[in-house]
Amino acid sequence: MPFKFVHAADLHLDTPFRGVATQGPLLGRFQDSTFRALTRITEVCLRERVAFLLLAGDLFDVKDRSVRARLALRRELGRLDAAGISTFIVHGNHDPLSGDTGALGLPPSVKVFGPDWEEVEVKREGRRLCRVQGISYPDVEVRDDLSARFRRTGDGFSVGLLHANLGGAEGHANYAPCTTAGLGSRGLDYWALGHVHTRAEHMLPGGGVAVYPGNPQGRHANETGPRGCMLVEVEDGGMRRRFIPVDGVRWHKLEVPLSGVSTLDGLLATAMEGVEARCAPELDGHAVRLTLTGRGPLHRELARPGALAQLEVDLREQLARSHPPVLLESLRDSSRPEVDLEAVCAAGGFARTLLDEVGFLAEDPAALARLWEEEALGALSQRLKRLGVDALEAPRAEWVVQAGLHGVESLHEEETS
Amino acid sequence: MKPGLRIDALRVLGFGRFSGLTRDLGPGLHLLYGPNEAGKSTLLAFLRSMLFGFEKRGQPERYEPAHGGAFGGELTLTTYAGPLLVRRIASRRSSEGELSVRDAEGKELSKESLESALAHVSRELFFDVFAFRLDELAGFERLTEQRGASEALVAASMRGARRLPEVMDQLRKSTEGIYKPNGVKPSLNETLKALEDVQARLRQEGDRPARYFAEKERLGALVEEQRTLEAELLETGTGLERLTRLEAALGDVAALAQARAELATLPALETFPEAGESRLEDGLHRRRSYRAEGARLAERLATVEAGLERLSAPSGVRGREEALNQALAAYTEGAALLRALPSRRAAVAEKQRQVELALRELGLPVDGPGLLALDLSVSVRVTLEELALRLGAAEVAHREADGAWARAVSERERLDGALARVNAELSTLPEERASRIRQQQAGLGRLRTVRAEMERLSEQRAELHRQFESVRTQGEPQATAAVLPTWWVPAVAAVVVALAVTAWLLAGNVVGALCLVGGLLLTGVLELARRRVETARDADVEAQRARQRWRQQEEERLRAALLGLSAREELLHRELLSAASEAGLNLVATAADMAAREAVLADALERAGRREQLQRERETLHAEHTAARREEHRASEAVGEAESRQEQLGAELTALLSERRFPPTLAASAALTLWRDAAALRQRLLDVGAEEAALTVDAQVCALVTSRLWAEAVVAELIPGATEARELDAGVMEPLASRVAAALEAERAQSLERRTLEERRHELRAEKARLDGLCHDEEAALATLLAEGGSADEETFRRRAAQARRYVELTGRTRELSHRIEARTGLSETLARQALIDVGGEQGLRVELESLRDRQAEAQDRLKAVLTERGALSHQLEQWENDDALAKLRIVEESLRARASELAKQYAADRLTLALLARARRRFEEEQQPRVVQLASEHFAALTQGRYQRVFIPTGEERELRVGDGQRDWSAAQLSRGTREQLYLAFRLAVVRDFGETRGALPLIVDDVLVNFDPERARGAIHLLAKLSEHQQVIAFTCHPWLRDVFAAEGARVQALDASTSEPPAPVSVLKTG
Repeated sequence: MPFKFVHAADLHLDTPFRGVATQGPLLGRFQDSTFRALTRITEVCLRERVAFLLLAGDLFDVKDRSVRARLALRRELGRLDAAGISTFIVHGNHDPLSGDTGALGLPPSVKVFGPDWEEVEVKREGRRLCRVQGISYPDVEVRDDLSARFRRTGDGFSVGLLHANLGGAEGHANYAPCTTAGLGSRGLDYWALGHVHTRAEHMLPGGGVAVYPGNPQGRHANETGPRGCMLVEVEDGGMRRRFIPVDGVRWHKLEVPLSGVSTLDGLLATAMEGVEARCAPELDGHAVRLTLTGRGPLHRELARPGALAQLEVDLREQLARSHPPVLLESLRDSSRPEVDLEAVCAAGGFARTLLDEVGFLAEDPAALARLWEEEALGALSQRLKRLGVDALEAPRAEWVVQAGLHGVESLHEEETS
Repeated sequence: MKPGLRIDALRVLGFGRFSGLTRDLGPGLHLLYGPNEAGKSTLLAFLRSMLFGFEKRGQPERYEPAHGGAFGGELTLTTYAGPLLVRRIASRRSSEGELSVRDAEGKELSKESLESALAHVSRELFFDVFAFRLDELAGFERLTEQRGASEALVAASMRGARRLPEVMDQLRKSTEGIYKPNGVKPSLNETLKALEDVQARLRQEGDRPARYFAEKERLGALVEEQRTLEAELLETGTGLERLTRLEAALGDVAALAQARAELATLPALETFPEAGESRLEDGLHRRRSYRAEGARLAERLATVEAGLERLSAPSGVRGREEALNQALAAYTEGAALLRALPSRRAAVAEKQRQVELALRELGLPVDGPGLLALDLSVSVRVTLEELALRLGAAEVAHREADGAWARAVSERERLDGALARVNAELSTLPEERASRIRQQQAGLGRLRTVRAEMERLSEQRAELHRQFESVRTQGEPQATAAVLPTWWVPAVAAVVVALAVTAWLLAGNVVGALCLVGGLLLTGVLELARRRVETARDADVEAQRARQRWRQQEEERLRAALLGLSAREELLHRELLSAASEAGLNLVATAADMAAREAVLADALERAGRREQLQRERETLHAEHTAARREEHRASEAVGEAESRQEQLGAELTALLSERRFPPTLAASAALTLWRDAAALRQRLLDVGAEEAALTVDAQVCALVTSRLWAEAVVAELIPGATEARELDAGVMEPLASRVAAALEAERAQSLERRTLEERRHELRAEKARLDGLCHDEEAALATLLAEGGSADEETFRRRAAQARRYVELTGRTRELSHRIEARTGLSETLARQALIDVGGEQGLRVELESLRDRQAEAQDRLKAVLTERGALSHQLEQWENDDALAKLRIVEESLRARASELAKQYAADRLTLALLARARRRFEEEQQPRVVQLASEHFAALTQGRYQRVFIPTGEERELRVGDGQRDWSAAQLSRGTREQLYLAFRLAVVRDFGETRGALPLIVDDVLVNFDPERARGAIHLLAKLSEHQQVIAFTCHPWLRDVFAAEGARVQALDASTSEPPAPVSVLKTG
């Protein structure tokens, strides 16, 4: 019997947005965006008459913080319940069970998987449509490969619902690590994964597929582009997947080239044009991170103290007045002096000595670690970690390379000034 | 050596004690020699200041002139980019002074051009290494410090690291601004602190959802409890209400029982007339008042009857009122006439006497009746008046005719005189015509015009003639003939050939050919030149011909113009002749003749005009004279006519007067006056007669009236004792009339009173009858009322009425109480009573009520508490549901985290860059040191004559300069002062040389740095400087003669410097600042 289901993950309901002022009209739009995304997922379910909804962890940004998030989830799942649509939930690292069943106040058609493997059959008119298996995180840190506990138990379409890091994706904590081979070996047809916020599909050995739908609402400048959920149609053992964007507020990263721009007004106009071209009018709002690139007559003017900050303020004001409003997350200057590194090395001199030093450190982790400690960056790293700030976790060779380049550029710039 | 910079000349405008000092320098070694206080250190400071700016204000080395004036100077430099003129003048804006750099052409250059010429050496490095004093020589420690000249040294001598110190400084500032491990102010420290605070606040908020759901459950329990309490309260309230009502009705029940008992004691009085007592009293009262009113009426009726009786007494006047009234009225009417009769009679007699007197005075021969008989009718008067009028008119006409005749005579005489005068004047004037004279004047005017025209023509003719002559005489030089005749060319060619043949014969083929070729070429050139000249000549000839043609045309035109002028002249001449003959002058008359002739003609014209005027006047006078004669004749005729008419009218008047018995000699006007007076007198006579007749009539009327009144008064018995009428004059009749009037008035008053009293009696009688009727009715009504009340008399009735009132009252009260009981308890009286009995009577009721009230109060208190708690809880939950404070806190936390992350990355990047730069610098120093140190070793060995062979800087943190002699080594501090200074000098010279080789050769300026050297080592040092000066400029200062000699021996250019070198400031000519 053909059926449809929707797979969403990482709702991060009531997530706090960076760079949004705690006052002003934009705050409301951003704070509501995760709730609106959930509402749109519900609407997709109702419109497509799906059999069930899968939520693969991290429903809440922080589980014990937002009453509104709990109530919103209850309300939307109540609507699905009223329409006869079941919901399957696993909890992830952001909203682990931690003693809470997670089902507090949820309607009866919602199944929240516990810390142990469970399987539930989905039936329609007395006939089984498919099987859904899942495990919730009992605590924040789950370092075991939870996928190993999944298994095919019988014929028919089988779905595994799990919050996990497949293939050690970068930028995400390596919780419940698993591999495509491992998932493939479990023999399931569809792995509904959560945790990685960027949409991805992994074909598994043995014919299954593991899907990250991404989060339905981008939360910061590194989560750009359309965000949404995955609509899966299963018919005769085959399946069709369709991504449906549900985000209300969209993030963008834009580069504004300085070349050919001679005045600050011109730069403002260029930036505004770029932003307007990228920001679709049908959304509730947009947030952009602008990066000035290249080199032009304005470079020296922007190098004046406070000039960039003033430009950022002006741009932010102008963009906030757009329709829909656009939040300027930040304005960054990556316009670089044109340094021909090869020529610098070939010419010798101090820059060559500097780059030699960089090469030495980049290739010798021990020396780099020593330097890291000498500069007291380790202690700072520990302090940052305690406060939940993701920065300076460990010394990285590319930082040294960047620092070297920075040094060369500074000296070069001074030479030419 | 790389090309760098050299000071060619200095010019001090004002610096310290110097003003206007100039010195020429140049390549090589220079020594400025002077005693102490000659200003050597000042000059060193001047050179430093010119290149790098003045010291800050207040610093001793600023050397601002103590007495004001210009502060600054100029340097003439030679650089790899060409000569520069550097000028620095003190400025208010900058303590460093205003710098201007110009090239050889005086063109302003950027300040960077000086920095560039100085190979971007830093101020510190230049001051430490290139231009230093003795005390600075010993301060070498600065070079080995972590910062300062060491970095500057690296920067200066290493390509790509020129501004390393600045970059490192910026990075240090940046990192310190971002984070300090134990800091508070840096931005990352602040951010982390804020983050900690926010997280602490978030922790305080706890697990909000868990609390929310727990509280929600508690809210449910409270709602349930509230429902229970409300039900209980409802039940208690109902019971309480029932009992409260019963309690409220307790008093009413008792009162009702009492009323019913009293009612039972009263007889049946339901049919007792309503308000019987008051009705009885009202009836009685009305009856009494009717009776009293009847008595008062009877009294008033008796009074009226008595009055009527009094008025019915007899009277003489009564019955004769009409006749008396008429007689009295007739008398009253004629009374005035009666009183006037005597005076009127006297007046008539007087008038008659006056008329008679007037008649006598009139002078007519008639008396009164005769006057009346005269015909004084209007027609006579009109005839008389007409005659008088016609006589007057005839007289006036006569007078006018006389006047007209006299005027005509005088006018004729005046005209006779005027004619005689005009004729006399005419006889004196010659006979000449004015038109003739005017013609002569016109001729004279034309003569003048023609003469002027002729003069103008002769001028034009002269001008044209001159032009004509000039055109005719304007000759053209003939075009030059050909410069070279054509035959010259073949002739020259022939000569050339001949010469070529000669040359061939004499010098051979080649020379011959060359000569031939040369000659032919020359011939060709000659031919070319000739042709060009010919062409030019042809053009000239053509131009000349064109000019010739133009001249001929011009001659023709002028000749035609001259002919035209001659014809015109002829015409004018003829005109001149006619004008002269017309003017009466000959052709040769001069201007004076013409003026005299003009004056004569003007005079003649005036006299001719006068004669014409007089002739016209004479004619006019003649006509007037004729008219005057005719007028005179006509006037004399009119006078005759008037006289005859006057005579005729006088005869007519005389006839009329005699006919009317008037004196016939009277003039018309006097006759008319007499007539008028007679007519007036006759009218007065007639008036007096009429007045006498009227008086008689009035006297008769008065006698009739008085007699009638008298008779009536006698009849009415108003004249006691007199029955006969006597002379009834006014004196008798006036009192009688008054008496009659008074009697009539009294009678009228009595009659009026009687009528009034009768009317009153009638009214009173009718009123009495009405009252009697009312009294009777009232009696009947009272009897009926008593019968209704079942009483025989009024007393019984009153007693029964009191009982009936009480009966009604009690009945109403019982009804009211029953209703109240029902309203309060909702029960009928019986049921209420039964209920009371059920709760145990009043006592039982109160006990029950008390207990119910307690229960209700308790339940209410609890409900209130539950409601309060529920409200607070709902509010709290609602707040949590909609609270965005937590969300905001989390945004702040997230933003702070992001900022902390950014700052930390920036900090790490800056720290790493800084560390990398430091490591690179160390490595550079280690690798590059041998070159500088090797040079320093060489210099130091030379300075110490090989005593020390090695200078080195050991690696490690201690940045120390050490020396060795091959066996052992010493730190600089361990050396003697002189040797230590030699070491530092050697090191500096090494840096200077290295800098010169890698960056650019800069001048070395030393101020008496050799004083602590022994003569041998000093010579060595000077030798080193001299060697160095082969590549770069060296300027030394000293005050020691022996050093001067050594410098001189080494080839230094020595210039003396003493106090007398101060020169007056020259005007600033090259550069202007500001």
